Amino acid sequence: MIRFGHIIFGVAFLLSLCTAVSASERFPPPEFESGYEQPSPTTPHPRQDIYEYIDAAVLLAGLSLSSYLVLRNRSRRAIFILMVFSLLYFGFWRKGCVCPIGAIQNIVLSVFDRDYVVPIVVGVFFVLPLVFTLFFGRVFCAGVCPLGAMQDLVLLRPVPVPRWAESGLRLFAYVYLGAAVLFAATGSAFVICRYDPFVSFFRLSGNLNVLILGACFLVVGVFIGRPYCRFVCPYGVILRQMSRLSKWRVTIAPDECVQCRLCEDSCPFGAIKEPTTDWPVHEYDRSKKRLAFLILLLPVLMLLGGWMGSGVRMVTARMHETVRLAERVYLEDEGKVEGTTDASLAFRATGKEVKELYEEASNIRAEFGLGGWFFGGFVGLVIGLKLIGLSVRRQRKDYEADRASCVACGRCFEYCPKEHARLKKAKEMIGKS
Amino acid sequence: MEATNPWYKSAVATAIVGAVFSVIILTLIVLNYVQAKIPEPKREIELENLKIEIQDQPDDEQLLLWIRELDLQSVSDPNRAEELETLKIEIRAGPDDEQLLSRIRQLDLQVKQDEIRRLDLQFRQDKIRRRDFSRKGSYLLLGSVVVLLIGVKLADAFRKKTPSPQLRGAEPYEQVREAMRARWAVTAGLAILGAGVLFLITGPRIDFTQADAASTSYPSTEQINKNWPCFRGPGGLGISANTNVPTNWNGKTGEGILWKTKVPLSGFGSPVIWGDRVFLSGGDKNKLQVYCLDALSGRLLWTGDVAVPPRGDEELDVMEDTGFAAPTMVTDGRRVYAIFVTGDVGCFDFGGKKVWTRNLGIPDSAYGYASSLAMYRNLLLIQYDQGLAEDQMSKLIALDGFSGQTVWETKRPVSNSWSSPIVTKIGSQFQLLTCSDPWVIAYDPAKGTELWRAKCLAGDIAPSLIYANGLVFAIEPYSKLIAVRPDGRGDVTETHIAWSLDEGAPDICSPVSDGELIFLLTTEGLLMCYKVADGTKLWEKELEEYFFASPSLAGDKLYLLTEEGVMLIVQAGPEYKELARCELGEECRASPAFADGRIYIRGLENLYCIEKKQRSEIRSQIICSLSSVRDTDKD
Repeated sequence: MIRFGHIIFGVAFLLSLCTAVSASERFPPPEFESGYEQPSPTTPHPRQDIYEYIDAAVLLAGLSLSSYLVLRNRSRRAIFILMVFSLLYFGFWRKGCVCPIGAIQNIVLSVFDRDYVVPIVVGVFFVLPLVFTLFFGRVFCAGVCPLGAMQDLVLLRPVPVPRWAESGLRLFAYVYLGAAVLFAATGSAFVICRYDPFVSFFRLSGNLNVLILGACFLVVGVFIGRPYCRFVCPYGVILRQMSRLSKWRVTIAPDECVQCRLCEDSCPFGAIKEPTTDWPVHEYDRSKKRLAFLILLLPVLMLLGGWMGSGVRMVTARMHETVRLAERVYLEDEGKVEGTTDASLAFRATGKEVKELYEEASNIRAEFGLGGWFFGGFVGLVIGLKLIGLSVRRQRKDYEADRASCVACGRCFEYCPKEHARLKKAKEMIGKS
Repeated sequence: MEATNPWYKSAVATAIVGAVFSVIILTLIVLNYVQAKIPEPKREIELENLKIEIQDQPDDEQLLLWIRELDLQSVSDPNRAEELETLKIEIRAGPDDEQLLSRIRQLDLQVKQDEIRRLDLQFRQDKIRRRDFSRKGSYLLLGSVVVLLIGVKLADAFRKKTPSPQLRGAEPYEQVREAMRARWAVTAGLAILGAGVLFLITGPRIDFTQADAASTSYPSTEQINKNWPCFRGPGGLGISANTNVPTNWNGKTGEGILWKTKVPLSGFGSPVIWGDRVFLSGGDKNKLQVYCLDALSGRLLWTGDVAVPPRGDEELDVMEDTGFAAPTMVTDGRRVYAIFVTGDVGCFDFGGKKVWTRNLGIPDSAYGYASSLAMYRNLLLIQYDQGLAEDQMSKLIALDGFSGQTVWETKRPVSNSWSSPIVTKIGSQFQLLTCSDPWVIAYDPAKGTELWRAKCLAGDIAPSLIYANGLVFAIEPYSKLIAVRPDGRGDVTETHIAWSLDEGAPDICSPVSDGELIFLLTTEGLLMCYKVADGTKLWEKELEEYFFASPSLAGDKLYLLTEEGVMLIVQAGPEYKELARCELGEECRASPAFADGRIYIRGLENLYCIEKKQRSEIRSQIICSLSSVRDTDKD
């Protein structure tokens, strides 16, 4: 009982201190001779937690609705409306944050930094689209992602990208994912957020360079469908792999394909794959040898990539502020640069030893060296697997939406005569009932 | 013919309207952005000038002139204008009325403050207006783009073409070719990536481990010796590492003078040199400043303000002979440091950015603070002697050059002095040597711990120490020259004084030595030469001139700068021999600074750069030839 009393007293005492602290100004305000009256300070309230849960609920509802519209309703118009809603809500209303794409970094950082705890909502935003993709394909990209929606809206004159070019360009997304993971794991930077090209539009302000980057994406996006989603989006890389395993997925025809070829050019994202033809016999032999060579090449590419990723640590480590500071201090000390920066001055004002800073920076570089092996190895693996994938003969009898590439936008539905028949039949059913 | 939806044209018109509107809005936003980024130098300069003006206290004459010429229409506050008008009339009747002058002074300040506030408000209003314009423009742009998209999408929907796939023959090789092209594309991506990474790997890199080994946060001895970083050059010895210095010039005719630049504020501190820059300080009752000049052209590159001296009750009574900026600055090749009579210390980087300032408190110095700064590695060393020995106010302070924070501070049992500390390597150890009444004390410059001390001085100590040929030389004004062996520990008064001479000594000028001989110069112009080894007097010469600048040595020549600005160049040998007399045409108090082929001399008003004749001619020839080449190009 006595202990309980002490606790109560202690808490009350601390609270009284807090009151005293909050009531006093940190610096005395200046006294104006002109009769100017100091406005009373106001503190903006933090965003209430409830809104974050509302965001998560909206995401869940959006994904569920998107799945229904893509797989059951098969309505491009409805998907379009959902897309516009998502753009307005997650984009312009929520200013593009939190989003599953950037959440990758939070998750990675929480794995590598024990002191960092991922907020539940961020975890939900990361996991939910993946779960839905695993069951229903890329329904997140279809109608819920504001970045995809923005690009989809500006697509006015689609120009097909040659398959070979697409294969090459898509590698960038893997490199970007690897780099984003490396920088997040080392606590250096959240590059996906920093270079999000559309967030400036959502917020109607931002860094000029990023704004220009976003404008470039939108201008390109007038002709090339969703360039960011296809060639840059790191979350898209994960979704592509999940979508390959999805239980249900988008089909162009509601039932059997009649190979009318009407849908052939309907996809602006190059996700419709035509039926395959038989390869000439001699090509089989060559492809077998090539495949064997590429399989042997795979570990070499991984090792080479790892070596390069580790070797470039001096450059990649500069993303970390401590390394940047250490290099700046070094250059100042060497007399190789003129002047000082705010950061270097602040460091020197701490009285901390320069050697300590150098040691810290060297340790971070070593982390980048180790991380670089994984990063480079990953890139090597991706390139190796891509080459292997391009050397394996696929067999397709019908026109199919590519499991990985299809963003489930629903454009192809209306091109299918079987879909028209289905809709007609459905109308008749409704009429009869 | 394809049937067109009747709404098609409306959709196209909507799209066109949206597009035109978007382009207009976007253009306006961009223009607004560009305008916001363009600086307004006129207004900025006006504001800066006002800020400087407000720090100055105009004298009575200036105030009277100001109110006489004041255009009352330009005063924004009508009440203030009315008050000024009344004063204008009243002051005519009594121009010496102190009360009226005081009111005018106050109003002058208020008018300037009003003007600063008005300009500042204009800046803020402009900025807020542009931001507001940009924000509203963004909303309008967004709206117009939405209209454009709706128009285009609808037009597309109204004129949708029915798909008509072309007939295609069997192309067994097409898919094989496509796969091959894709493999090449991936390989090309791999090659580009690899090349990029290799480029980055082979780029310049910084190795911190080497930095640790070299401890390069301060200049090397070689770098210091190449420059003139402190009072009397490297080690404070007054010896130039360059022997190719000029021996013939005339300030009146301009012969041998590379450039002459007026120094904004006066000071008796000497110039210091690092690379292509010359630094010196100046001050008056209103400003304390640091100047950086281009060594080649003499152009003032930047001026750094350190602090405004105290006013009112704290008004500082500064002796005319000392001034506000008597101490010489110091540089470590990265930053420059200055100290003033007020105890204000300022640090600037080479670009003129103020790194830090500190006020050590106004020193209690009988003639005003005049000790120059010294540097050891990253430590700025300040001999802050003040008061009497029994006051225990004197101290030696080491500040971190980067941050200005105190690294160590040591109390000194001495009275106020005007000598400067020197840092010199003796044996394997650096020693910080100081002299004041009554002690010569050596410290470890890294920690501030005392190494040895010798009680051998008395009076107002102004000449600094020098180290030559294993001995430290100290001077007791008008009285003694003392040679001390610096290898002792503790009180070495009884054990390490090698020799001492009571034949008179300088009161201001510091000595100089080539290792064999030591030369002393009194203010009244008596030049004396002694043997370093035992103090044997070799000769003395009455020069019949006044000297405040300390003698310097370049090769085998002694450079003696008279108060009148005449440089006597004398053979530094066992016999007196005058080699040359070069007239500057301006009074001089500061000691000269030496560089490769040049001498920098600070007059009371100007800084002179004197260049060896041959070099000047070569330079002129190069400039002439460059001009002729340019003329030819123009033709």
